[in-house]
Amino acid sequence: MAYEKPLPQPNADTRPFWDGCKEHQLRFQKCRDCGHVRWPPSIICPRCYSSEVEWMVASGEGKVYTFVVYHYAYHKAFENDLPYITAIVELEEGPHILTNIVGCSSDEVRCDMPVKVAWEDVTEEFSLPKFKPAQND
Amino acid sequence: MGLKDKYAIVGVGYTPQGRVPGRTALSFYVEACANAIKDAGLGRQDIDGLICYRHFQPASGEREVTPYVVAQQLGLAPKYLSQEANCARSQLHHALGVLEAGLCNYVVVAYADNALSSDRIPDETNPENSVFGQFGYPASYAMAARRAMHTFHTGPETWKMIAVGQRQWASLNPLAMMRDRPLTFENYYSSKWVVEPFRVSDCCLVSDGGRAYIVTSVERARDLSHQPAVIIGIGQHNPSSYIDQSTYMAGPTGAKIAGEMALKMAGINLEDIDACEIYDCFTYTVEVTLQDYGFFGLGEGQDWFKYGTITPGGRLPVNTSGGLLSEAYFMGLTPLTEAAMQLMGRCGDRQLGAKTNTKEPEIILCSDNGATLQTHSCTILRRF
Ligand SMILES: [Zn+2]
Repeated sequence: MAYEKPLPQPNADTRPFWDGCKEHQLRFQKCRDCGHVRWPPSIICPRCYSSEVEWMVASGEGKVYTFVVYHYAYHKAFENDLPYITAIVELEEGPHILTNIVGCSSDEVRCDMPVKVAWEDVTEEFSLPKFKPAQND
Repeated sequence: MGLKDKYAIVGVGYTPQGRVPGRTALSFYVEACANAIKDAGLGRQDIDGLICYRHFQPASGEREVTPYVVAQQLGLAPKYLSQEANCARSQLHHALGVLEAGLCNYVVVAYADNALSSDRIPDETNPENSVFGQFGYPASYAMAARRAMHTFHTGPETWKMIAVGQRQWASLNPLAMMRDRPLTFENYYSSKWVVEPFRVSDCCLVSDGGRAYIVTSVERARDLSHQPAVIIGIGQHNPSSYIDQSTYMAGPTGAKIAGEMALKMAGINLEDIDACEIYDCFTYTVEVTLQDYGFFGLGEGQDWFKYGTITPGGRLPVNTSGGLLSEAYFMGLTPLTEAAMQLMGRCGDRQLGAKTNTKEPEIILCSDNGATLQTHSCTILRRF
Protein backbone atom coordinates (compact mmCIF):
# COMPACT_ATOMS: atom_id res chain seq x y z
CA MET A 1 0.00 0.00 0.00
CA ALA A 2 1.23 3.48 -0.86
CA TYR A 3 2.55 5.63 1.98
CA GLU A 4 -0.05 8.36 2.50
CA LYS A 5 1.40 10.46 5.31
CA PRO A 6 3.28 13.68 4.56
CA LEU A 7 6.90 13.21 3.56
CA PRO A 8 9.91 15.39 4.36
CA GLN A 9 10.60 18.18 1.87
CA PRO A 10 14.35 18.55 2.08
CA ASN A 11 15.80 21.93 1.17
CA ALA A 12 19.36 23.10 0.73
CA ASP A 13 19.78 23.36 4.51
CA THR A 14 18.12 20.10 5.56
CA ARG A 15 19.07 17.72 2.74
CA PRO A 16 22.22 16.41 4.47
CA PHE A 17 20.09 15.47 7.51
CA TRP A 18 17.55 13.51 5.43
CA ASP A 19 20.32 11.93 3.36
CA GLY A 20 21.79 10.75 6.66
CA CYS A 21 18.46 9.33 7.76
CA LYS A 22 18.36 7.25 4.59
CA GLU A 23 21.57 5.60 5.91
CA HIS A 24 20.12 5.38 9.44
CA GLN A 25 22.41 8.10 10.71
CA LEU A 26 21.35 11.19 12.66
CA ARG A 27 23.63 13.84 11.18
CA PHE A 28 23.97 17.27 12.71
CA GLN A 29 26.12 20.30 12.06
CA LYS A 30 28.91 20.79 14.60
CA CYS A 31 30.72 24.11 14.91
CA ARG A 32 34.46 23.62 14.30
CA ASP A 33 35.28 26.61 16.46
CA CYS A 34 33.18 26.21 19.63
CA GLY A 35 31.94 22.63 19.27
CA HIS A 36 28.23 23.52 19.51
CA VAL A 37 26.01 20.91 17.83
CA ARG A 38 23.10 22.68 16.19
CA TRP A 39 19.61 21.94 14.89
CA PRO A 40 18.00 23.11 12.73
CA PRO A 41 20.83 23.59 10.23
CA SER A 42 22.13 27.11 9.76
CA ILE A 43 24.73 28.96 7.72
CA ILE A 44 26.51 30.04 10.92
CA CYS A 45 26.83 28.91 14.53
CA PRO A 46 24.20 30.74 16.66
CA ARG A 47 26.66 30.85 19.57
CA CYS A 48 29.90 32.15 17.99
CA TYR A 49 28.86 33.07 14.41
CA SER A 50 31.56 30.84 12.95
CA SER A 51 30.75 29.38 9.55
CA GLU A 52 33.32 26.59 9.96
CA VAL A 53 31.25 23.46 10.24
CA GLU A 54 31.39 19.68 10.04
CA TRP A 55 28.63 17.10 10.05
CA MET A 56 28.75 14.67 12.99
CA VAL A 57 26.69 11.55 13.62
CA ALA A 58 24.69 11.50 16.85
CA SER A 59 24.45 8.38 19.00
CA GLY A 60 20.68 8.19 18.65
CA GLU A 61 20.26 8.19 22.42
CA GLY A 62 18.41 10.78 24.40
CA LYS A 63 15.41 11.42 26.58
CA VAL A 64 11.85 12.64 26.12
CA TYR A 65 11.80 16.39 26.75
CA THR A 66 8.05 16.65 26.27
CA PHE A 67 5.24 14.86 24.44
CA VAL A 68 1.56 14.99 23.53
CA VAL A 69 -0.98 12.31 22.72
CA TYR A 70 -3.29 12.53 19.71
CA HIS A 71 -6.72 10.95 20.26
CA TYR A 72 -8.05 12.54 17.08
CA ALA A 73 -6.35 12.53 13.68
CA TYR A 74 -6.01 15.96 12.03
CA HIS A 75 -4.77 14.18 8.88
CA LYS A 76 -6.59 11.11 7.59
CA ALA A 77 -3.41 9.07 7.13
CA PHE A 78 -2.80 9.07 10.90
CA GLU A 79 -6.22 7.62 11.81
CA ASN A 80 -4.98 4.04 12.11
CA ASP A 81 -2.23 5.12 14.50
CA LEU A 82 -4.56 6.56 17.15
CA PRO A 83 -3.75 7.15 19.88
CA TYR A 84 -0.27 8.21 18.79
CA ILE A 85 2.49 10.17 20.52
CA THR A 86 4.49 13.08 19.17
CA ALA A 87 7.44 14.18 21.25
CA ILE A 88 10.46 16.38 21.43
CA VAL A 89 13.53 14.30 22.19
CA GLU A 90 16.60 15.85 23.75
CA LEU A 91 19.56 14.03 22.21
CA GLU A 92 22.66 13.26 24.24
CA GLU A 93 24.65 15.56 21.96
CA GLY A 94 22.32 18.48 22.70
CA PRO A 95 19.87 19.04 19.83
CA HIS A 96 16.13 18.74 20.42
CA ILE A 97 14.16 17.10 17.59
CA LEU A 98 10.49 16.52 16.95
CA THR A 99 9.59 12.86 16.49
CA ASN A 100 7.20 10.05 17.44
CA ILE A 101 7.57 7.72 20.41
CA VAL A 102 6.89 4.14 19.33
CA GLY A 103 7.05 0.80 21.11
CA CYS A 104 5.23 1.96 24.21
CA SER A 105 1.69 2.98 25.03
CA SER A 106 0.61 6.55 25.66
CA ASP A 107 0.17 5.66 29.35
CA GLU A 108 3.80 4.63 29.66
CA VAL A 109 5.59 7.59 28.12
CA ARG A 110 7.07 10.15 30.56
CA CYS A 111 9.15 13.31 30.35
CA ASP A 112 12.86 12.53 30.83
CA MET A 113 12.28 8.87 29.89
CA PRO A 114 15.44 7.48 28.19
CA VAL A 115 14.85 6.67 24.52
CA LYS A 116 16.84 5.55 21.50
CA VAL A 117 16.29 5.95 17.79
CA ALA A 118 14.09 3.42 15.97
CA TRP A 119 14.34 3.86 12.21
CA GLU A 120 11.25 3.57 10.07
CA ASP A 121 11.86 3.12 6.34
CA VAL A 122 8.73 4.70 4.94
CA THR A 123 9.55 4.99 1.21
CA GLU A 124 12.45 4.22 -1.15
CA GLU A 125 13.70 7.72 -0.52
CA PHE A 126 12.98 8.41 3.16
CA SER A 127 13.63 6.90 6.57
CA LEU A 128 12.19 8.62 9.64
CA PRO A 129 13.96 8.79 12.99
CA LYS A 130 11.39 7.71 15.56
CA PHE A 131 12.26 6.84 19.16
CA LYS A 132 11.45 3.95 21.49
CA PRO A 133 12.05 3.38 25.20
CA ALA A 134 15.74 2.62 25.73
CA GLN A 135 15.06 -0.46 27.88
CA ASN A 136 13.03 -2.16 25.12
CA ASP A 137 15.99 -4.16 23.81
CA MET B 1 9.85 57.05 32.78
CA GLY B 2 9.63 56.24 29.08
CA LEU B 3 6.18 56.75 27.63
CA LYS B 4 4.30 56.76 30.92
CA ASP B 5 1.12 58.86 30.82
CA LYS B 6 1.78 60.23 27.32
CA TYR B 7 -0.61 58.16 25.20
CA ALA B 8 -4.03 56.58 25.61
CA ILE B 9 -6.61 54.33 24.04
CA VAL B 10 -9.58 56.56 23.26
CA GLY B 11 -11.99 54.48 21.24
CA VAL B 12 -12.90 50.84 20.62
CA GLY B 13 -14.63 49.39 17.56
CA TYR B 14 -16.68 46.20 17.67
CA THR B 15 -18.45 44.24 14.91
CA PRO B 16 -20.94 41.42 14.99
CA GLN B 17 -18.90 38.49 16.29
CA GLY B 18 -19.05 34.76 16.75
CA ARG B 19 -20.42 32.81 13.81
CA VAL B 20 -21.27 35.45 11.23
CA PRO B 21 -21.46 33.74 7.84
CA GLY B 22 -21.55 35.51 4.51
CA ARG B 23 -18.98 38.16 5.35
CA THR B 24 -15.45 38.74 4.08
CA ALA B 25 -12.53 39.36 6.44
CA LEU B 26 -12.12 42.75 4.76
CA SER B 27 -15.66 43.76 5.68
CA PHE B 28 -14.95 43.09 9.36
CA TYR B 29 -11.72 45.14 9.21
CA VAL B 30 -13.50 48.10 7.67
CA GLU B 31 -16.44 47.92 10.07
CA ALA B 32 -14.24 47.57 13.18
CA CYS B 33 -12.03 50.51 12.15
CA ALA B 34 -14.96 52.76 11.26
CA ASN B 35 -16.66 51.95 14.57
CA ALA B 36 -13.49 52.71 16.53
CA ILE B 37 -13.07 56.05 14.74
CA LYS B 38 -16.69 56.98 15.44
CA ASP B 39 -16.50 55.68 19.00
CA ALA B 40 -13.61 58.02 19.76
CA GLY B 41 -15.54 60.96 18.37
CA LEU B 42 -13.20 61.31 15.41
CA GLY B 43 -13.69 61.47 11.66
CA ARG B 44 -11.72 59.91 8.86
CA GLN B 45 -9.91 63.20 8.23
CA ASP B 46 -8.34 62.87 11.69
CA ILE B 47 -6.84 59.43 11.15
CA ASP B 48 -3.25 59.49 9.94
CA GLY B 49 -2.02 56.07 10.99
CA LEU B 50 -3.39 52.61 10.21
CA ILE B 51 -1.95 49.37 11.55
CA CYS B 52 -3.48 46.03 10.54
CA TYR B 53 -2.61 42.45 11.31
CA ARG B 54 -0.34 40.45 8.99
CA HIS B 55 -3.21 38.51 7.56
CA PHE B 56 -3.60 34.77 7.24
CA GLN B 57 -4.12 33.13 3.87
CA PRO B 58 -7.34 34.61 2.52
CA ALA B 59 -10.40 32.41 2.25
CA SER B 60 -10.98 31.01 -1.22
CA GLY B 61 -12.35 33.63 -3.56
CA GLU B 62 -11.20 36.51 -1.39
CA ARG B 63 -8.29 38.84 -2.02
CA GLU B 64 -5.59 39.28 0.57
CA VAL B 65 -6.56 41.83 3.20
CA THR B 66 -3.70 44.28 2.96
CA PRO B 67 -3.62 47.54 4.94
CA TYR B 68 -3.80 49.27 1.55
CA VAL B 69 -7.22 47.91 0.69
CA VAL B 70 -8.48 48.61 4.22
CA ALA B 71 -7.27 52.22 3.91
CA GLN B 72 -8.88 52.53 0.49
CA GLN B 73 -12.22 51.35 1.78
CA LEU B 74 -12.01 53.69 4.77
CA GLY B 75 -11.13 56.64 2.53
CA LEU B 76 -7.77 57.05 4.26
CA ALA B 77 -4.36 58.05 2.91
CA PRO B 78 -2.39 57.80 6.16
CA LYS B 79 1.09 59.09 6.93
CA TYR B 80 1.96 55.71 8.47
CA LEU B 81 0.63 52.31 7.51
CA SER B 82 1.80 48.85 8.55
CA GLN B 83 3.02 47.50 5.28
CA GLU B 84 4.05 43.98 6.14
CA ALA B 85 4.19 41.59 9.10
CA ASN B 86 2.61 43.00 12.22
CA CYS B 87 0.83 41.43 15.16
CA ALA B 88 -1.07 42.81 18.12
CA ARG B 89 2.04 42.61 20.29
CA SER B 90 4.00 44.94 18.05
CA GLN B 91 1.04 46.93 16.70
CA LEU B 92 0.74 49.05 19.82
CA HIS B 93 4.49 49.59 19.95
CA HIS B 94 4.52 50.73 16.33
CA ALA B 95 1.60 53.04 17.02
CA LEU B 96 3.37 54.58 20.01
CA GLY B 97 6.53 54.90 17.96
CA VAL B 98 4.92 56.88 15.15
CA LEU B 99 3.02 59.05 17.64
CA GLU B 100 6.18 59.73 19.64
CA ALA B 101 8.09 60.51 16.43
CA GLY B 102 5.45 63.05 15.51
CA LEU B 103 4.54 61.24 12.30
CA CYS B 104 0.92 60.74 13.33
CA ASN B 105 -1.69 62.10 15.73
CA TYR B 106 -4.37 59.40 15.72
CA VAL B 107 -3.59 55.78 14.91
CA VAL B 108 -6.16 53.05 14.37
CA VAL B 109 -5.07 49.46 15.14
CA ALA B 110 -7.16 46.54 13.90
CA TYR B 111 -7.53 42.80 13.61
CA ALA B 112 -10.38 40.98 11.90
CA ASP B 113 -11.09 37.67 10.24
CA ASN B 114 -13.83 35.36 9.01
CA ALA B 115 -11.96 32.38 10.41
CA LEU B 116 -15.00 30.47 11.66
CA SER B 117 -17.20 30.58 8.58
CA SER B 118 -14.69 30.57 5.71
CA ASP B 119 -12.93 27.63 4.11
CA ARG B 120 -9.22 27.87 4.08
CA ILE B 121 -6.17 25.70 4.10
CA PRO B 122 -4.15 26.15 7.29
CA ASP B 123 -1.08 28.18 6.43
CA GLU B 124 0.98 27.00 9.37
CA THR B 125 1.85 23.61 7.92
CA ASN B 126 5.42 22.71 8.58
CA PRO B 127 6.68 19.77 6.54
CA GLU B 128 9.15 18.72 9.21
CA ASN B 129 6.33 18.45 11.79
CA SER B 130 3.55 16.98 9.68
CA VAL B 131 5.80 14.04 8.80
CA PHE B 132 5.34 12.93 12.42
CA GLY B 133 1.66 13.88 12.61
CA GLN B 134 2.24 17.09 14.56
CA PHE B 135 -0.31 19.70 13.51
CA GLY B 136 -1.24 23.16 14.75
CA TYR B 137 -0.79 25.43 17.72
CA PRO B 138 -2.84 23.38 20.23
CA ALA B 139 -0.26 20.60 19.93
CA SER B 140 2.66 23.01 20.31
CA TYR B 141 1.21 24.64 23.41
CA ALA B 142 0.19 21.21 24.74
CA MET B 143 3.86 20.24 24.52
CA ALA B 144 4.73 23.31 26.60
CA ALA B 145 2.00 22.45 29.09
CA ARG B 146 3.20 18.84 29.37
CA ARG B 147 6.73 19.98 30.13
CA ALA B 148 5.31 22.31 32.77
CA MET B 149 3.41 19.37 34.32
CA HIS B 150 6.77 17.64 34.63
CA THR B 151 8.63 20.71 35.91
CA PHE B 152 6.20 22.08 38.50
CA HIS B 153 2.84 21.30 40.03
CA THR B 154 0.24 21.94 37.32
CA GLY B 155 -2.26 20.24 35.06
CA PRO B 156 -6.01 20.04 34.50
CA GLU B 157 -6.68 20.62 38.22
CA THR B 158 -5.28 24.13 37.76
CA TRP B 159 -6.47 24.77 34.20
CA LYS B 160 -10.10 23.93 34.94
CA MET B 161 -10.26 26.89 37.34
CA ILE B 162 -9.13 29.23 34.54
CA ALA B 163 -11.61 27.81 32.02
CA VAL B 164 -14.52 27.93 34.47
CA GLY B 165 -13.61 31.36 35.87
CA GLN B 166 -13.48 32.97 32.45
CA ARG B 167 -16.74 31.32 31.43
CA GLN B 168 -18.38 32.99 34.44
CA TRP B 169 -17.26 36.36 33.11
CA ALA B 170 -18.57 35.44 29.64
CA SER B 171 -22.00 34.79 31.11
CA LEU B 172 -22.13 38.55 31.92
CA ASN B 173 -21.08 39.64 28.40
CA PRO B 174 -23.83 39.83 25.78
CA LEU B 175 -21.21 39.68 22.99
CA ALA B 176 -19.47 36.55 24.29
CA MET B 177 -19.74 33.50 22.05
CA MET B 178 -20.04 31.22 25.11
CA ARG B 179 -22.41 33.46 27.05
CA ASP B 180 -25.15 30.84 27.25
CA ARG B 181 -22.87 27.83 27.69
CA PRO B 182 -22.13 27.52 31.42
CA LEU B 183 -19.08 25.45 32.27
CA THR B 184 -18.65 23.38 35.42
CA PHE B 185 -15.60 21.45 36.58
CA GLU B 186 -17.44 18.26 35.56
CA ASN B 187 -18.10 19.64 32.04
CA TYR B 188 -14.44 20.58 31.84
CA TYR B 189 -13.32 17.01 32.41
CA SER B 190 -15.88 15.61 29.99
CA SER B 191 -14.87 17.94 27.14
CA LYS B 192 -13.01 16.07 24.38
CA TRP B 193 -9.27 15.89 23.92
CA VAL B 194 -7.97 18.27 21.28
CA VAL B 195 -4.54 16.84 21.87
CA GLU B 196 -3.73 15.47 25.31
CA PRO B 197 -3.17 17.18 27.79
CA PHE B 198 -5.50 19.82 26.27
CA ARG B 199 -9.24 19.44 26.13
CA VAL B 200 -11.65 21.58 24.09
CA SER B 201 -12.22 23.70 27.22
CA ASP B 202 -8.50 24.54 27.37
CA CYS B 203 -8.45 26.03 23.86
CA CYS B 204 -9.42 29.44 22.52
CA LEU B 205 -12.35 30.02 20.22
CA VAL B 206 -12.28 30.56 16.48
CA SER B 207 -14.30 33.63 15.58
CA ASP B 208 -15.70 35.73 12.79
CA GLY B 209 -15.59 39.45 13.42
CA GLY B 210 -13.11 42.19 14.19
CA ARG B 211 -11.86 44.61 16.77
CA ALA B 212 -10.10 47.96 16.51
CA TYR B 213 -8.91 50.72 18.79
CA ILE B 214 -7.59 54.27 18.49
CA VAL B 215 -4.40 55.53 20.15
CA THR B 216 -3.56 59.18 20.55
CA SER B 217 -1.82 61.50 22.99
CA VAL B 218 -3.35 62.13 26.41
CA GLU B 219 -3.45 65.83 25.43
CA ARG B 220 -5.60 65.14 22.37
CA ALA B 221 -7.66 62.61 24.33
CA ARG B 222 -9.10 65.36 26.51
CA ASP B 223 -11.30 66.58 23.67
CA LEU B 224 -12.75 63.19 22.73
CA SER B 225 -15.84 61.18 23.62
CA HIS B 226 -14.65 58.93 26.44
CA GLN B 227 -12.44 58.98 29.50
CA PRO B 228 -9.21 57.71 27.96
CA ALA B 229 -7.44 54.54 29.09
CA VAL B 230 -3.94 55.85 29.70
CA ILE B 231 -0.90 53.74 28.83
CA ILE B 232 1.53 53.79 31.74
CA GLY B 233 3.85 50.90 30.97
CA ILE B 234 4.88 48.69 28.08
CA GLY B 235 7.39 45.89 27.72
CA GLN B 236 8.20 43.28 25.12
CA HIS B 237 10.45 40.25 25.14
CA ASN B 238 10.98 37.73 22.38
CA PRO B 239 12.70 34.48 23.40
CA SER B 240 12.04 33.45 19.77
CA SER B 241 13.00 29.76 19.71
CA TYR B 242 10.44 27.47 18.09
CA ILE B 243 8.82 24.92 20.37
CA ASP B 244 10.98 22.09 18.98
CA GLN B 245 14.07 23.78 20.40
CA SER B 246 12.52 25.74 23.26
CA THR B 247 13.88 25.29 26.76
CA TYR B 248 11.57 27.87 28.37
CA MET B 249 8.21 26.24 27.70
CA ALA B 250 7.67 25.82 31.45
CA GLY B 251 8.93 29.38 32.01
CA PRO B 252 10.29 31.85 32.41
CA THR B 253 8.64 32.88 29.16
CA GLY B 254 8.94 36.35 27.66
CA ALA B 255 6.39 37.46 30.26
CA LYS B 256 9.06 37.76 32.93
CA ILE B 257 11.19 40.44 31.27
CA ALA B 258 8.29 42.13 29.45
CA GLY B 259 6.39 42.37 32.74
CA GLU B 260 9.37 43.78 34.63
CA MET B 261 9.88 46.39 31.90
CA ALA B 262 6.23 47.48 31.96
CA LEU B 263 6.01 47.66 35.76
CA LYS B 264 9.24 49.65 35.92
CA MET B 265 8.03 52.16 33.32
CA ALA B 266 4.74 52.49 35.20
CA GLY B 267 6.55 52.85 38.51
CA ILE B 268 4.19 50.40 40.22
CA ASN B 269 4.21 46.95 41.83
CA LEU B 270 2.02 43.93 41.22
CA GLU B 271 -0.03 44.87 44.31
CA ASP B 272 -1.20 47.97 42.42
CA ILE B 273 -2.87 45.88 39.69
CA ASP B 274 -6.66 45.69 40.06
CA ALA B 275 -7.37 43.23 37.23
CA CYS B 276 -5.60 41.44 34.39
CA GLU B 277 -6.55 40.85 30.76
CA ILE B 278 -4.26 37.99 29.79
CA TYR B 279 -3.78 36.60 26.28
CA ASP B 280 -5.38 33.20 26.76
CA CYS B 281 -4.87 31.14 23.62
CA PHE B 282 -4.89 28.19 26.05
CA THR B 283 -5.62 27.86 29.76
CA TYR B 284 -1.97 27.03 30.45
CA THR B 285 -0.91 30.31 28.81
CA VAL B 286 -2.84 32.22 31.48
CA GLU B 287 -1.19 30.24 34.26
CA VAL B 288 2.38 30.54 33.02
CA THR B 289 1.93 34.24 32.20
CA LEU B 290 0.61 35.16 35.66
CA GLN B 291 3.31 32.97 37.22
CA ASP B 292 6.09 34.63 35.21
CA TYR B 293 4.76 38.10 36.09
CA GLY B 294 5.18 37.03 39.71
CA PHE B 295 1.58 36.82 40.95
CA PHE B 296 2.42 33.42 42.46
CA GLY B 297 5.43 31.14 42.78
CA LEU B 298 6.35 28.18 40.62
CA GLY B 299 3.54 25.62 40.77
CA GLU B 300 1.52 27.62 43.29
CA GLY B 301 -1.19 28.37 40.74
CA GLN B 302 -3.34 25.49 41.86
CA ASP B 303 -3.81 27.17 45.25
CA TRP B 304 -3.80 30.72 43.92
CA PHE B 305 -6.73 30.17 41.52
CA LYS B 306 -8.83 28.46 44.22
CA TYR B 307 -11.90 30.08 45.73
CA GLY B 308 -12.70 32.19 42.69
CA THR B 309 -9.64 34.47 42.70
CA ILE B 310 -10.15 35.44 39.05
CA THR B 311 -13.96 35.20 38.79
CA PRO B 312 -16.68 37.82 39.33
CA GLY B 313 -16.37 38.73 43.01
CA GLY B 314 -12.73 37.60 43.06
CA ARG B 315 -9.76 39.53 44.38
CA LEU B 316 -7.90 39.65 41.03
CA PRO B 317 -10.36 39.44 38.14
CA VAL B 318 -8.82 37.94 34.98
CA ASN B 319 -10.24 38.09 31.46
CA THR B 320 -13.42 39.91 32.31
CA SER B 321 -14.97 39.65 28.83
CA GLY B 322 -14.58 35.86 28.84
CA GLY B 323 -11.32 36.25 26.92
CA LEU B 324 -10.21 34.28 23.92
CA LEU B 325 -11.46 31.13 25.62
CA SER B 326 -15.05 32.29 26.06
CA GLU B 327 -15.67 35.69 24.42
CA ALA B 328 -14.09 35.73 20.94
CA TYR B 329 -10.68 35.45 19.30
CA PHE B 330 -9.27 38.73 18.08
CA MET B 331 -5.61 38.19 18.86
CA GLY B 332 -4.22 40.48 21.57
CA LEU B 333 -6.98 42.97 20.83
CA THR B 334 -9.49 40.95 22.86
CA PRO B 335 -7.59 41.54 26.12
CA LEU B 336 -6.35 45.06 25.33
CA THR B 337 -9.71 46.49 24.26
CA GLU B 338 -11.45 44.89 27.24
CA ALA B 339 -9.00 46.62 29.59
CA ALA B 340 -9.68 49.95 27.88
CA MET B 341 -13.46 49.46 28.06
CA GLN B 342 -13.28 48.51 31.76
CA LEU B 343 -11.24 51.62 32.58
CA MET B 344 -13.70 53.75 30.60
CA GLY B 345 -16.47 52.19 32.71
CA ARG B 346 -18.39 50.92 29.69
CA CYS B 347 -18.73 47.20 30.44
CA GLY B 348 -22.36 46.86 31.53
CA ASP B 349 -23.12 43.79 33.64
CA ARG B 350 -19.48 42.72 33.71
CA GLN B 351 -18.18 46.13 34.79
CA LEU B 352 -15.51 45.88 37.45
CA GLY B 353 -16.44 47.61 40.69
CA ALA B 354 -19.62 47.41 42.75
CA LYS B 355 -21.59 45.74 39.97
CA THR B 356 -19.41 42.60 40.06
CA ASN B 357 -18.32 42.86 43.69
CA THR B 358 -14.76 43.61 42.66
CA LYS B 359 -12.32 46.49 43.14
CA GLU B 360 -12.98 49.71 41.24
CA PRO B 361 -10.38 49.38 38.49
CA GLU B 362 -7.64 51.99 38.54
CA ILE B 363 -4.91 49.92 36.88
CA ILE B 364 -5.26 46.93 34.55
CA LEU B 365 -2.42 44.80 33.21
CA CYS B 366 -2.74 43.23 29.74
CA SER B 367 -0.64 40.58 28.06
CA ASP B 368 -0.21 39.24 24.59
CA ASN B 369 1.96 36.40 23.39
CA GLY B 370 2.60 34.82 20.06
CA ALA B 371 3.83 31.83 18.12
CA THR B 372 4.44 29.19 20.83
CA LEU B 373 5.43 31.46 23.73
CA GLN B 374 8.11 32.90 21.42
CA THR B 375 7.08 36.50 21.85
CA HIS B 376 5.40 38.42 24.65
CA SER B 377 4.23 41.93 25.33
CA CYS B 378 2.85 43.50 28.47
CA THR B 379 0.80 46.70 28.55
CA ILE B 380 -0.38 48.48 31.69
CA LEU B 381 -3.27 50.93 31.50
CA ARG B 382 -4.75 53.25 34.10
CA ARG B 383 -7.97 55.13 34.46
CA PHE B 384 -7.70 58.80 33.46
ZN1 LIG C 1 30.29 28.04 17.39
